[in-house]
Amino acid sequence: MSKLLIKRLLQGVLVVFVLQTITFFLVRLLPGNPFLGERKLPEHVMAQLNNLYGLDQSAWVQYWNYWKGILFHGDFGPSLVREGVQVSDIIAQSFPVSLWLGVLGMSVAVLVGIPAGMLAAWWRNRAPDAFIMMFAMAGICIPAFVVAPVFGLTLGMHVPGLSVAGWDDPLCAVLPALTLGLINAAYIARLTRGGMAEVLSSDFIRTARAKGVGAGRLLFVHALRSGLLPAVSYLGPAFAALITGSFVVETCFQVPGMGLHFVNATTDRDYFLIQGLVFCYGVLIVLANLVVDLVLVALNPQLRSQGAA
Amino acid sequence: MLGALMASCGDGRSSAERAAEEGILLLGNNQEPLSLDPHKATSVADGKIITSLLEGLVRPDAQDETKVHAGMAERWERNEDASVWTFYLRDAVWSDGRPVTSRDFAYAWQRLLHPEFAGKYAEMLYGLKNAEQYNRGECAWEAVGVQTPDERTLRVELKGPMPHLLQVMLHFTWCPVPAHAVEAHGGMLDRRSAWTRRENWVGNGAYVLDGHRFNDYLSVVANTRYWRAAEVKNRGIRFLPIVNGYTETRMFLDGKLHISNNVPPELLAVMKKRVPEEYCQDPYYCTIFYRLNTTRAPLNDVRVRRALSLAVDRESLVQKVVRGAGRAAYSFTPPGAGYTPPEQPEAQSTRESREAEAKRLLAEAGYADGKGFPTLELMTTSRDVQRVMAETVQAMWKNVLGVHVEIRSCEWTAYKAAQQNMDYDISSSSWSGDYLDPATFVELWSGGGGNNCTGWSHAECDAALDAAQAAATAEARREHLRRAEQVMMEGRPVIPLYWSERTYLKSPMVSGWYPLILDNHPLDAVEVRNGEKR
Repeated sequence: MSKLLIKRLLQGVLVVFVLQTITFFLVRLLPGNPFLGERKLPEHVMAQLNNLYGLDQSAWVQYWNYWKGILFHGDFGPSLVREGVQVSDIIAQSFPVSLWLGVLGMSVAVLVGIPAGMLAAWWRNRAPDAFIMMFAMAGICIPAFVVAPVFGLTLGMHVPGLSVAGWDDPLCAVLPALTLGLINAAYIARLTRGGMAEVLSSDFIRTARAKGVGAGRLLFVHALRSGLLPAVSYLGPAFAALITGSFVVETCFQVPGMGLHFVNATTDRDYFLIQGLVFCYGVLIVLANLVVDLVLVALNPQLRSQGAA
Repeated sequence: MLGALMASCGDGRSSAERAAEEGILLLGNNQEPLSLDPHKATSVADGKIITSLLEGLVRPDAQDETKVHAGMAERWERNEDASVWTFYLRDAVWSDGRPVTSRDFAYAWQRLLHPEFAGKYAEMLYGLKNAEQYNRGECAWEAVGVQTPDERTLRVELKGPMPHLLQVMLHFTWCPVPAHAVEAHGGMLDRRSAWTRRENWVGNGAYVLDGHRFNDYLSVVANTRYWRAAEVKNRGIRFLPIVNGYTETRMFLDGKLHISNNVPPELLAVMKKRVPEEYCQDPYYCTIFYRLNTTRAPLNDVRVRRALSLAVDRESLVQKVVRGAGRAAYSFTPPGAGYTPPEQPEAQSTRESREAEAKRLLAEAGYADGKGFPTLELMTTSRDVQRVMAETVQAMWKNVLGVHVEIRSCEWTAYKAAQQNMDYDISSSSWSGDYLDPATFVELWSGGGGNNCTGWSHAECDAALDAAQAAATAEARREHLRRAEQVMMEGRPVIPLYWSERTYLKSPMVSGWYPLILDNHPLDAVEVRNGEKR
């Protein structure tokens, strides 16, 4: 187990390093630069700005300086668009919001998606299955930019306490969490149904049923453990994506999370901010996948022996 | 948290009602501010916040934009041709109690112009004598026309007559900064200075900084040390950076805003019907137009440019694309500030005669019925309204002239880069005035102007602009500017489409907010009160 952990951690460091390197050079290939305004800057002003932030140096010198800043000073650099603000300040302010929303959204997704998938699998190919899968398909097909305003206009405007958008009281999190949660619940329901349906038609379940094991025990003790594997694999990356924010949901509900920064930093060419956000996302994806691997090993003894080998 | 939760849903009042009872104005401010430092800020959203936190020598009127009031300057005098001005400062203090002196102004202007500071908006101060040379590092600060004979006197020498100087000075770039606070947090040249953070903020405006969270809010509260503190009509303002007009409109309807920033065109008809009392549509000092790259064939032929311009049916664009939120423009500068743009003959003619003339011009240029005309590219940003407009104009050119253009939709920075490098054929553009004077529009078309971006220039236009800069009276200036604009319109490096109008929603709880063409509202004059609870 510890071998697996160390192996995965080392792989993770490599992944983050490669991700940062690719991002570093790709964003500099985009047309334009962070200082381009709506009005053209005089050349001497542009030159001075590039000089101040070291953007007039060669890409390799900039690359070295960037890593030097992170490794020796823990400094992710300044925002080039909101001058005077550090990248770490922006992430420190927006990440907790996205984390909170992500946790709520994921809770909705798991609490709705897994039971729905289990029920559909139990009654597979019968009316309840068709009914649940119809909703799941709708959840997958209807994009967030439709779901979010519809929730805002229906629930937000008419249910007392709920709010159409904004982040000025705790109930503001309800609709964005519901939007994120239900969309993910749809995927989870389908994955759970698939996994459970396969397990429920396997020989050991038939044997257990023949031996007279009750429905509850059969579902929760015998089938769930293996039936959840596909959903669990999905949960890790989905959770990392959720807690780093969603641009659409944040724009529709005016949530001050990380998703807005992700898109705006790219369109504004805020190089250091893009790097910082990608770093954050990369680390979270690596960690989420690591946790998923560990959970999968715990759920599936076969993997444990493979890991040990 | 539970307490807050109970409080939030307990009384059934909306956020706007609760804020109104506390005297807090909730204002949609379009986007997250880039900076609160007047020397680094560039956006309109920045300007609205900065002018409530800092006060310049003069301040705007709440109803009449042609008027200015005494701000930090108690009084002023000027020489006959308005090229030398002397301002006498009032007895005012910064929010930390230190006096506001003429040196704070000189310090601020030197900072924005300093060649090593790289102020993006330094050009706003180029009216000062030798300011441009200093900004380029070609002379010492002492040569610039700013003198401080004593703490309360500020003498300003300009590079030429500027009868409109006071209007220009309403712009946030002319605000003072607290020299002592800037020095305490990194000094004059530190672009990463932390003096604008809440804990370090020192200002001289009607408000002081209270709180800020990115993409959430920026709040200011009344400055008790402001010299007109007793006349400030509200206790604070919460600026909400809502980019999405649909989200903002929903928030307004749900009682989360007192004044919104923008109603998208698709919602105009619904809002006019649903909330007629709240719906506002005000003229705006902004022109929507297409730039033509006159260095590329066939756009280097003025007949082709005129033909393309004549074939656009502006009335139908205004009615169908922006749903009435604009006025068809046949010249460039929006009317206002005592200026009427030179009238173009096509403004009075019928659509049929314009189209016939367009066809004739195109045939004369060698492209009868569009035959042999190369496929040009019409560049737009990814904004919906621009894309729809481009598709409409594309169809008009196809139908009237038989000319086909392709639409290239670019994301914002790629669009700016392409436009500034003139890597386009036709570019969907807009220009809004920094101050209430036609020069802010017409000067765009000087040969050396950085924002011209069309490759077009004309000696006569440049001469008229020079003459305008040397004119000592406002009337003479306007005449020269009108002549410059007429020369430009004859050369037609642009296709003016319409002068935009601002569409937004305003709660009946708000008073003291009037239509202003520059949208430069002195927010201390805006009162917000919850009528039912009064």
